[in-house]
Amino acid sequence: MNKQNRRDFLKSVTTVGITAAGLSAAAPTKLNAAPENVLSEDRMGVLVDTTVCIGCRKCEWACKESHGMHAGDIEDYDEKGIFNSRRRPDHTGHTVVNEYENDKNRSLPIYLKVQCMHCDRPACVSACIVGAFSKKESGAVIWDDSKCIGCRYCMVACPFQIPAFDYHKALEPDIHKCDFCFDRTKNGKLPACVEICPVETLTYGKRSDLIQVARNKIKNYPDRYLDHIFGETEVGGTSWLYLASKEFEKLDFPKLGKNPAPGVSESIQHGIFAYFIPPIALYALLGGIMWISKNRDKSEGEAH
Amino acid sequence: MKRLLIISIFVLTASALWSQSDHSKIKLDCSFCHSCEKPTKINPCLKACPREEMITVYHTPSQGPEYLIINQFEKFEDLYEPVNFSHRAHSEMAEMSGGCELCHHYNPPGSIAKCVDCHDVNRLRADLSKPDLKGAYHRQCIDCHRTWNNNVACADCHELKSSGKTAAKIKPLSASRIHPEIIEPAKIVYETETSEGKFVTFYHNEHTQLFGLECSNCHKNESCASCHKVDDMKSIKLTVEEKHQACINCHKVENNCSYCHSNKTLEPFDHGTRTGFQLKSYHQKLSCVNCHAKPKAFSGLNSKCASCHGSWSVDNFNHKATGLILDEIHAEFDCDVCHSLDNYSKPGCDACHEDMTYPKFKPGRILRN
Ligand code: SF4
Ligand code: SF4
Ligand code: SF4
Repeated sequence: MNKQNRRDFLKSVTTVGITAAGLSAAAPTKLNAAPENVLSEDRMGVLVDTTVCIGCRKCEWACKESHGMHAGDIEDYDEKGIFNSRRRPDHTGHTVVNEYENDKNRSLPIYLKVQCMHCDRPACVSACIVGAFSKKESGAVIWDDSKCIGCRYCMVACPFQIPAFDYHKALEPDIHKCDFCFDRTKNGKLPACVEICPVETLTYGKRSDLIQVARNKIKNYPDRYLDHIFGETEVGGTSWLYLASKEFEKLDFPKLGKNPAPGVSESIQHGIFAYFIPPIALYALLGGIMWISKNRDKSEGEAH
Repeated sequence: MKRLLIISIFVLTASALWSQSDHSKIKLDCSFCHSCEKPTKINPCLKACPREEMITVYHTPSQGPEYLIINQFEKFEDLYEPVNFSHRAHSEMAEMSGGCELCHHYNPPGSIAKCVDCHDVNRLRADLSKPDLKGAYHRQCIDCHRTWNNNVACADCHELKSSGKTAAKIKPLSASRIHPEIIEPAKIVYETETSEGKFVTFYHNEHTQLFGLECSNCHKNESCASCHKVDDMKSIKLTVEEKHQACINCHKVENNCSYCHSNKTLEPFDHGTRTGFQLKSYHQKLSCVNCHAKPKAFSGLNSKCASCHGSWSVDNFNHKATGLILDEIHAEFDCDVCHSLDNYSKPGCDACHEDMTYPKFKPGRILRN
């Protein structure tokens, strides 16, 4: 076997890291550090019914507009040429809509809005060394600019590759991702994207209610929906849930298990920080491991 | 305890009476609308819309309003101007496909239900089982508009407030119909992908004129594009089931392929070749449903005259209608003295006259040939 999968790699990193740092006795037992108490029964979520979305991208506009980002003219968002390539959320926009072919009816393509899933057990939260990320009772996973040191662990940890980094401002660390409109919802408003959506692709409500709504939709319209609510159990559950008519893998969703995504290097960090090892040493350590691992892959590859 | 019992009996009876009186006009099985066995007012366990079968109010397009202004969101901060909705033009289009219920998908007996009766104007709400009003409106419109023109721009229906433009002024309609009359195709030959029985010859005119079907019996939930952009629609791959969907209501498709599929185009329907019962004179003038009284059930009749005309007797049948006025003697006989009940067309004389045959000898006077 010359292929080492990501998980094995991470495992070896963890073990090597801990051993190398001489901290094997301090190996943390609990990997997924999202505090239980923030998972309120009443936490909110959004059900994204991708069979309804028309790809108008008004959500993209409203998101930017509400977050003081450059949004431009709303009429420019009617332009369909943008769907020729697949986009990802980045520092210019916390959410994007992509187009996929609809095998059942080619004149009605499938559109898919992408943003942070607001995991119930967020890998980004557990990965963040300085505790800049946190899961709020409302369901939102937000982060604190003033704490962020720009290490970008969150980017590596996130199973959905959501946190984006503004590389133009490397010296002023600035992570970008959907904040579930934390400031708006705090004041009783809807998330901006939910509010503007013309067809209510995005239903905002209690996560538990949304699961019920989704189940009913699947039951009442078995021809329309796959029997799968993405986010109900994936990586321990997410606040944003998806319904679709086409397999989620074909819509570029990662195939994920029910276990929370490991906070990647979290065990190293937590261990290291418990013993006051500064980030620079950590970088050196990780770099070293990657180098070793790469060489090992290579030599294994050659052996075959 | 006793008091409690009396009160609860009273409450139960009252609620039963309430629900009955309210529902008396609905001729449907309870389970059509309710998902649980004993719906209550608090938990009616209603199934999701649409419930087209409940529609009881039908208008022709010209009976409905010409225009509607959709301005339910005026009290909200809205980016867009209200919509001037040409109800008449849209209902004419709906008439050609799914009918009123294409949009009015839920309408219990009585007047016409407004969208806002069921769909909440507030997006932030407790009952999430139905889309809110803005979502409901857009969902009704958008799929047709999308198939019509994938570049659906918001300003196609409502102007941006910031643009300074307002919706087009409402003009009274002059034409009695907005959509030009649709010329019905007589015959369509479908070329299928199979090598055996490649062609399906579909006589559209027979289905509408002879078999008594309404447009909407087959054309359900169709968008304008299904007629106007025929080439686009051809690129849509339908499953075998979807292709037969329009036919299976009347035709048995399993093990019955050759009824429609053939290696050559088929001749129009002919009662004689299809059923072995040739239609002549009187029968020829009738439409199918005159004999095949149960709609859509065209089988089950046999060729014995008496199976339909069993009630004819000498007392109630005027023989003059056949073109032959019976003379006084013959007019007294029961039908089966001269006719076999299997076939009235050929009378026999041998019951009384050994040496006579029809039509050489006639039991009366011929009116016409
Ligand atoms: S999707 Fe990624 S960024 Fe969002 S909460 Fe989950 S782990 Fe964090
Ligand atoms: S919830 Fe707010 S931040 Fe997230 S995508 Fe929607 S508008 Fe943007
Ligand atoms: S606003 Fe709604 S319909 Fe439009 S692209 Fe976003 S999610 Fe889809």
